[in-house]
Amino acid sequence: MFKLFRLSAFALGAAYLAACGGSSSQTGAVSASTSPGTLSVTPPFRIASLDASAFQDELAASSTGAQLLELTGNPVCGVDFYYIRFWTVGGAGETTESSGALMVPTGAAPACSGPRPIVEYAHGTNSNKALNIADITNAANTEGVLIAAMFAAQGYIVVAPNYAGYDISTLGYHPFLDAAQQSGEMMDILTAARTALPTTMASATGDNGQLFLTGYSEGGHVAMATLRAMQAAGKTVTAAAPMSGPYALEAFGDTIFFGGVDIGSTEFAPLLVASYQHAYGNVDSTANPVFSSTYAGVETLLPSDTPIDTLFEEGLLPETALFDSTTPVVSIPGEAALSAELTALLGVPPTPGLPLGPQTPIFQLGFGNPYLVNNAFRVSYAEDAAANPDGAVPTAQAGVPLAAVKPTQGLRQDFYLNDLRSGWYPKVPTLLCGGQNDPTVFFKVNTEIMATYWSTLPPGAVTVLDVDPPTTPSGPFETLQVAFQASEAAELAYLQTPAGGGLSPTAAETQVIEGYHTAVAPFCAAGARAFFSQF
Amino acid sequence: MRTIKFGAAVAAVLASSYAASAVADDDFLANDVRLGSYTVLYHSNANNLNGPYVPDGVNFTAENLETLYGAYVRWFTPNIDAELALGYPPLAKVKGSGPQTLGSVPYDGQVISSARWISPTLLLEYNFFSPNSPFRPYIGAGVNYTTFYDRDSTAAGNAASGGPTKISLTASVSAAFTAGLTYRLSDRWHLHGSFGFSQVKSHLTTNTDGIVRTSNISFAPTPIIISIGYSFGH
Repeated sequence: MFKLFRLSAFALGAAYLAACGGSSSQTGAVSASTSPGTLSVTPPFRIASLDASAFQDELAASSTGAQLLELTGNPVCGVDFYYIRFWTVGGAGETTESSGALMVPTGAAPACSGPRPIVEYAHGTNSNKALNIADITNAANTEGVLIAAMFAAQGYIVVAPNYAGYDISTLGYHPFLDAAQQSGEMMDILTAARTALPTTMASATGDNGQLFLTGYSEGGHVAMATLRAMQAAGKTVTAAAPMSGPYALEAFGDTIFFGGVDIGSTEFAPLLVASYQHAYGNVDSTANPVFSSTYAGVETLLPSDTPIDTLFEEGLLPETALFDSTTPVVSIPGEAALSAELTALLGVPPTPGLPLGPQTPIFQLGFGNPYLVNNAFRVSYAEDAAANPDGAVPTAQAGVPLAAVKPTQGLRQDFYLNDLRSGWYPKVPTLLCGGQNDPTVFFKVNTEIMATYWSTLPPGAVTVLDVDPPTTPSGPFETLQVAFQASEAAELAYLQTPAGGGLSPTAAETQVIEGYHTAVAPFCAAGARAFFSQF
Repeated sequence: MRTIKFGAAVAAVLASSYAASAVADDDFLANDVRLGSYTVLYHSNANNLNGPYVPDGVNFTAENLETLYGAYVRWFTPNIDAELALGYPPLAKVKGSGPQTLGSVPYDGQVISSARWISPTLLLEYNFFSPNSPFRPYIGAGVNYTTFYDRDSTAAGNAASGGPTKISLTASVSAAFTAGLTYRLSDRWHLHGSFGFSQVKSHLTTNTDGIVRTSNISFAPTPIIISIGYSFGH
């Protein structure tokens, strides 16, 4: 009996020892520090590694990929896609973890290893909470594919945040168009990426010290704000190319509130209110709620794990009706003329403020019922815009400055604060790219205002690239402009063929207009790359 | 906890058989030690690896191996014994199976990880014929406990996984069966050949820089054992 028990105990003892046997296998080290710019996990996780030919094959396999290849050229380098997690600060000063991409060129070609320049890219507005721009394995990550093919596969190291509020972020909102937060996050991921770079499996590729800043749409604003912040911090930037961004936010906001409603506004509004309410707490109030009771609480909706089309279908968000189709009657005591003027201005376009133009039908889509934004809120905004007018909209003054007197209405104060006409100018060569007829982020109200604002700078300091010029393309970007216009014409024709859905000319045109903002992106990115390649 | 209960149950079964045999106490050598070779055919079967950034069809297989076998056998009667079998902890290699490459990283057929395991098996065996017979077939049943350690992802495995990878495999407790044949060389020396069967199930978790993937792996190791034994004591 005793012997037996001992034998059994030996068996268990052996098992116990084995279970405690040391394991030499390791995974990445997690940083104890949460200070901004700290890389959370070292080395970074590599999501995928593609050599140049495999990347080319993947792109060529789809029609959109094949079109992209025509713009980017065939990959010269392979690309390693690293997923980096880093610490940053939220819109209300919260310590928070965020994530993004580090794309590293690889391969034997001379442009693919050794010291290489960094392109830091800020992505456009995305309703998908799970967005991870590093995840090249996700077919929906078109912006990740674009920057990989345009920059990384041509020898640029690419750094791109997913932004706080997305992916692993637990912030609970996205600091949308918050210049201080977003530029801070851009600098933080850059610091983290530079820490990560020597620890990657692509250790033959390193940072040559050149930094190019770019970004599209929301990311255009982010890229420009980052240039401003890095200049202020004395950090090196080689050149910048903000693209199709809402830079002149006060002017853009005024345009929208006066009835020039852009495509996508019902997606932007909840993001914006959530962002500014967290950062400044001055937008929404029970006395003057932004959103109609139909959509109460909509500011917590985005970004979402539910596709935005589903949110539209489920009635959680109006597709286009930003404003009430029954427009407000403004009545300011003792200000009969102003009241009448504002009442007219707040009507459904065409209005005296926004005369009939090619975009009038798009603006009209911004009015409906149910609608997102309350009339009373719209009136409070318009009254402030009338009292403290922006220097560019509705009437352009010399130098197109911000309002001479600071706004008093909360949202407009926040636009003012995040408007990039803030008394600075780029000290490095800067390209502003966009498309003249952009119905989402208006070119005239943003790109042209910034170009005018900086028009006193020496020639060459700021270059404007309109990929869709109203006159016959010419100059250094002629090929790109011709290609864009040809691509739009081809798309319009294709949509009317049986293969493209056999749409009527009007329906086809509507679809082309709706896709315009997105269609400009790869052409501007190609322009940005050509611009960067000079340095 | 489960392991201890299981072990206790086996001990109880053995104890009762010992008590029964103690009445007819013949003069036989009560202890054997055996040493030999242990060939393990894995017949492994795993679910496709599941987790972030894993394409469909990523799987793996364990390579068959040979190692040193050792056992202690305690005889309770001339026909009944208990065997505690142990293999020298072998380094089992795991190969990727599935896509030829993950992105551009080679996968299929690459040795992606290795692990050592220790797998004590406690068997209650019945031996046919008398101790003096030249050949004695035997059959046995018992319990196998398998635990893994020294789990390492190889460089190829790290490249496929996306970075330095920590692997964990849960321990397995299962029934084990054996059938064998003893050839008597002398009073004390004998040769043995046996094969066995057990079903090991383990939950695999990999952690690559915080990215966690999982799979359930089951294998039916079929050990083929050739050994020489020596008897002693009472």
